[in-house]
Amino acid sequence: MDLLLQLFVNGVINGSHYALLGIGFGLIFATTRIVHFAYGPIFTFAAYIAWWLSGAMGLPIWLGLLGAVAAAVTIGLLSYLALYRPLELNRAPPLVPLIASLGLYIVLENLTGVIFGSGVRVVDVDYGIFFVGPVFFTSIHVWQVGSFVILGLGLAAFLRYSRYGKAILAMTDDPDMARVIGIDTFRITLLVFAIGSLVSAVPATLILVKNGASTHMGFAAVFMGFVAVIVGGVGSLRGAAAGGFVVGLVESLGLWKIPTEWQASIAFIVLYLVIMLKPEGLFSMARR
Amino acid sequence: MEYLLHVGVMLCLYAILAASFNLLIGFAGLFALSQAAFYALGAYAAAIVTTQLGLPFPLPLIIAVVFTALMSALIALPALRVSGHYLVVISIAMQIIVLQVILNWKSLTGGTDGISGVPAYDLFGLKLDTPELFLPAAAIGALACLWFAFRLTRSPFGRALRAMRENEAAAQAVGKNVLYMKVTVFAISAGMAAVAGVLFARYFTYVGVDSFTIDETIYILAMVILGGAGNLWGSVVGAALLVIAPELLKFLPLPVDIADKMRLIAYGVVLMGVLLFRPQGLMPEPRGRKAMFVPVDAEREESDAETLFKGDKGTKGETVMEGRNLRKQFGGITAVDDFSIELKRGVITGLLGPNGAGKTTAFNLLTGFLRPTSGEIVLRGSPIGNAKPHELVGKGVARSFQDLRLFTRMTVIENVIVALPDQTGDRVLPLFLRPGKVKAEERANAARAMEILRFVELEAKAHDTAEDLSYAEEKLLVVARLLATGAEVLLFDEPMSGLDRNTLQEVFPVIRRLAENGKTICIIEHNLDVIKELCDVVWFLDEGHAMATGTPDELMNDPELAQRYFK
Repeated sequence: MDLLLQLFVNGVINGSHYALLGIGFGLIFATTRIVHFAYGPIFTFAAYIAWWLSGAMGLPIWLGLLGAVAAAVTIGLLSYLALYRPLELNRAPPLVPLIASLGLYIVLENLTGVIFGSGVRVVDVDYGIFFVGPVFFTSIHVWQVGSFVILGLGLAAFLRYSRYGKAILAMTDDPDMARVIGIDTFRITLLVFAIGSLVSAVPATLILVKNGASTHMGFAAVFMGFVAVIVGGVGSLRGAAAGGFVVGLVESLGLWKIPTEWQASIAFIVLYLVIMLKPEGLFSMARR
Repeated sequence: MEYLLHVGVMLCLYAILAASFNLLIGFAGLFALSQAAFYALGAYAAAIVTTQLGLPFPLPLIIAVVFTALMSALIALPALRVSGHYLVVISIAMQIIVLQVILNWKSLTGGTDGISGVPAYDLFGLKLDTPELFLPAAAIGALACLWFAFRLTRSPFGRALRAMRENEAAAQAVGKNVLYMKVTVFAISAGMAAVAGVLFARYFTYVGVDSFTIDETIYILAMVILGGAGNLWGSVVGAALLVIAPELLKFLPLPVDIADKMRLIAYGVVLMGVLLFRPQGLMPEPRGRKAMFVPVDAEREESDAETLFKGDKGTKGETVMEGRNLRKQFGGITAVDDFSIELKRGVITGLLGPNGAGKTTAFNLLTGFLRPTSGEIVLRGSPIGNAKPHELVGKGVARSFQDLRLFTRMTVIENVIVALPDQTGDRVLPLFLRPGKVKAEERANAARAMEILRFVELEAKAHDTAEDLSYAEEKLLVVARLLATGAEVLLFDEPMSGLDRNTLQEVFPVIRRLAENGKTICIIEHNLDVIKELCDVVWFLDEGHAMATGTPDELMNDPELAQRYFK
């Protein structure tokens, strides 16, 4: 029973991580219909910038986080302007941006390796350890869950109450109609890429503090974000967040009966079942 | 020298991989990112069979190819129910699971250590264990695979694949069994990748998971895109360029791991650059006359296309197809409710009604694209049950689409040939076992297609690409493609909309003549003039019901309908 409780808490912690990635990736995907695989290496690059500032230069971690956010937003915007935008103007069929994003993915991932060298990079940050009854967690874990709550609520409020947020939702519903009613879809797209990339930098920095950064970790990040979106239901950010938690919890609780080395496969089994049985996603009815 | 030969071997392996991947993404339009997993399955199967069972050539090759093809079909069958982004994500998941299983099944695969000591090929005591000796073996493998791929794509099957890529529903609507095509091409593509895997295992005498990651899939993808999707020579060229060019990096004084990363960066840059500046690749898909597999003079031969224009023998006015009390619900919305209709031989039936009345849903029900929630559809006295669209085409029921759904990146004549019935070369086994028959049919079909194009007066555009046609010409091609199916019951979804008066006067006689020849015809139409001039019977639909039926004059003189709809 204690084990199950611990696994549940771990699931919530990992779920927060996946949910953030799902929101960030999902926001870009739902609004622009671009499968932005380069989201993964942008996540990685952000983590390395945070390491460079806080680990190598010795600055406080919050400055590292700021640097990571700035780097992620810059590369996110550049990838739209330099790659996806020209493809859109060429009227490329929908799969072309996806293939191009795989190209960008491989470029950014290896560029990160060339710039920072391979091998795991870690930062030294003091963190607290807590025991609540039989359950163990650290202040980094608290931050993982907390960052999801803050960013999730902030984004939800932004989408619901601000003018730009409403414009994003309109474009998510129907890009052509949004254009017809006078929404500047180009600016909204830039905004979405900026927000989506910003969101990725936060879990990236936290993962750096928790496990350290490695050049290949972007794949898992973008893929879990994608899985969260599909499991939750395309087009719904609330769904993407819920999808992230479902994956995190199933993955963690699965360890109760399944050997650790298969943990990574559990998420894919969930994905498989959802696509086969409920391709519109588990939470597609609960729009936003 | 040995180094150059080694590059030659790698070129052979990647030519196979790129060609196999091109079959899937370039020809069939199935964007599944799991090619490296099939490469891995082939390599591991060969390694296990040789090291643990010690089986002699060619058994490991055969076992590896068959095993991988079966595995891929098994994995693909559920995955192929979905398309687009779903297929992408689920295929990546497949790739990862395959590698996880390989990593974790240590007793069989050696886990992270991989399997070493795979025996090299042994040719009467001569071990093929140097690049020099192995190159001929790799070249034979590559040539065999390429020959197979060319035979497969330059055939009715290959043409049907491209049609499916252009528009899956339209491919079904001309009688193609898309599930068969998808599973088959998936299995063949995986089987070919397995050949490369077997060669890999034999050449390096070692297999380990690092060689088969998702990066490898992207690498192969870059070759296909660079060379040109839908062109097999392009894949060979793409493989050659991307195998040879990075070797030049070795002359730069870079540390090994930096050089390796620079190589991968170069692939990514190539991939993006091609998509931005030359999306069709270095060697675009063959179009125009080059798209034909038989000499063009075959098109001038005598043909029996006239028989396609004739319906079955039988009395005019006899009921051929019937929908009884059809009802279709989508969630809470009832699109069609208690709708009954009779389609009769030699009669042009019109379906009329405002937008959202359920006309297109009714079409989808009659042609098997949707299952009715209740009610039944009867064809020549027997219920069609759960027949799929392509099966119904085989039974003589075919339809067109309101939004045309031409195979836009294929030529006009290809659009017609692909729809012709009973093509032996549509199936892979006969394609290889009875090449003579396939070839003879292909000549005959070229002639038939040309005659159908003459019938709709599009013969001058036969070798143009469908996307370059004018709107009126596209509409004519829709008619030609529907005729080519030879179906007895023809359902046209708004064939006349958007056509000017003159063009209409050209299309009317075509449709009338079909009815006179004994075809059963049903048309969805908004234009009352068209209905009046063309239809013998009209069914008026609104809110999913048949509100009224009668001759066009009867309906238009009905005071209630006149007031509500005709104004």
